[in-house]
Amino acid sequence: MNTDTLQKLEKLNQLCLTEAEKSTVTAFFDQQADLFSCLEQINTENIARMVHVMPILTVVREDREIKLFTRDALQESAPETHDGYWQVPRLIE
Amino acid sequence: MKYETVIGLEVHIELATESKIFCSCSAKFGGEQNDHVCPACCGMPGMLPIVNKRVVDLGMTAGMMLNCHINRTTTFDKKSYYYPDLPCSYQTTQWFAPVCVNGAVEIETSKGKKTVRIKQIHMEEDAGKLVHDDWTDTSLVDFNRTSVPLIEIVSQPDLSSAEEVVAYLDRLKTLLRFAKVSECRMEQGSMRCDVNLSIRPEGSDKLGVRTEMKNMNSISAITRAIDYEVARHIDALENGTEELVQETRRWDDIKGKSYAMRNKETAGDYRYFPDPNIMPVVIDDAWYQRICDALPELPELKKQRYITQLGLSEYDAEQLTQSRAFCDCFEEAYAICGAAKEAANWLISDCYNILNKRQQTADQLSISGKALGELIKLVAEDKVSRGNAKKILSAMFEQDLDPLQYATEHGLVVSNDTGAMEETVQRIVAADPKSVADFKSGKEKALMALFGKCMKELKGNCNPQVLREMLLKCIENA
Repeated sequence: MNTDTLQKLEKLNQLCLTEAEKSTVTAFFDQQADLFSCLEQINTENIARMVHVMPILTVVREDREIKLFTRDALQESAPETHDGYWQVPRLIE
Repeated sequence: MKYETVIGLEVHIELATESKIFCSCSAKFGGEQNDHVCPACCGMPGMLPIVNKRVVDLGMTAGMMLNCHINRTTTFDKKSYYYPDLPCSYQTTQWFAPVCVNGAVEIETSKGKKTVRIKQIHMEEDAGKLVHDDWTDTSLVDFNRTSVPLIEIVSQPDLSSAEEVVAYLDRLKTLLRFAKVSECRMEQGSMRCDVNLSIRPEGSDKLGVRTEMKNMNSISAITRAIDYEVARHIDALENGTEELVQETRRWDDIKGKSYAMRNKETAGDYRYFPDPNIMPVVIDDAWYQRICDALPELPELKKQRYITQLGLSEYDAEQLTQSRAFCDCFEEAYAICGAAKEAANWLISDCYNILNKRQQTADQLSISGKALGELIKLVAEDKVSRGNAKKILSAMFEQDLDPLQYATEHGLVVSNDTGAMEETVQRIVAADPKSVADFKSGKEKALMALFGKCMKELKGNCNPQVLREMLLKCIENA
């Protein structure tokens, strides 16, 4: 784990780490990277990717429209609404 | 130096389902803001997604239409990013095992045929919509579109001009509309396109710096954006006007310019990981076969069949096969009336005109082929005049009706009362000696004028051939 990668992770996760936390996190990630290096030595050629640890499948539903909730009920706990919209701090790209 | 353009497209298609991908809310376009929402698509804690089977059906159908390999075990993954129109702060999509991979589609351009490879098709949910409110200086969120099912068709970078991109999009649109996967209506956002573009010296095999223009939703805007972006890249390389960087750009069609939006994220930034709430979807043989069996005949094969087996002209066959709705209606009408050319004419000319007036597309044709076939039969059997048949056709666009019953109820059936015809003809001829004299002196048009007057008087309810003969006889005796 180098400084650049750590900075990028901080930014992506919206974190601001102290110097002490940085060294703890760096050591932790280095340890994990070592573990993955070990795993990478295993030959996985011609082995199908494991899609799930349990042999279970998803449940699917038929394509039927069902209206279960009203807008008012859903917006009851909203901090701010305006004319049927959820209202959030202004955001411009 | 000569350059070549390298373009890959990511095309988002909204699927033709009733409900959303992971909940039962309506997937319809529009509606009152936040009227098609529930705790699941609003991202409320503890809500679990349940996959809509039809979404998988349509994903597979799209893949088969585009010659893809179908992954019989397909999984959903979480793509994390923060934005207020994404209530869960992640989008449920497919990263590790998309439903379709490795396809190809053939396009036709002015330089001939070309194959565009499809890297993958994955199923995913759409995001909501944001409205920026200047009055309150806030952003307003509408979750109606959240979780509306999409497929994203990712091409390989095989396209090299705006013309090829347009041909590719047209081809996708035709195939997916034919298979009823989507309406692919760009103006409603049910077909959107991200353009990945770079340039490189002609003959080079090394790709240049790539920029991405997102959410393009009109063919003309896409064409202008590509032309602008190619010129910008060349200018940057030749004249050093700017440094090209990998980034996402926004196209402003009014100003005719693209603007940098953000540095391009890489896959790692999205922290894809398998969605633990959705178990793998396994497509068994019966499911796979059901989708195969339901695939439509491809438009070009249909066209060929219409020409060789039904005797249609190339033009008529081409016009009909532009739309699945037209083809279905034509085939049903033909089965009833047995007159292919007549059925094609009614659709291409009369139905198309009515659709135009209603500002509808060919795919929105709503009349039944059975009723059209019966109407054509009524005209062929001289039970209804062609003029009155057009009136009945117009009514068929308003309501589902039986043409004969409608004609009877509205007095549009051809009358066999020759007495009434005789009386009308004599009256019209007697009242217009000038037209009679004109016709006798060789002016053919005068006959048409008299014929028209008689037809109007009889409200079109007579056999035109019988009327003409009666009129000629009456003029002769006048």
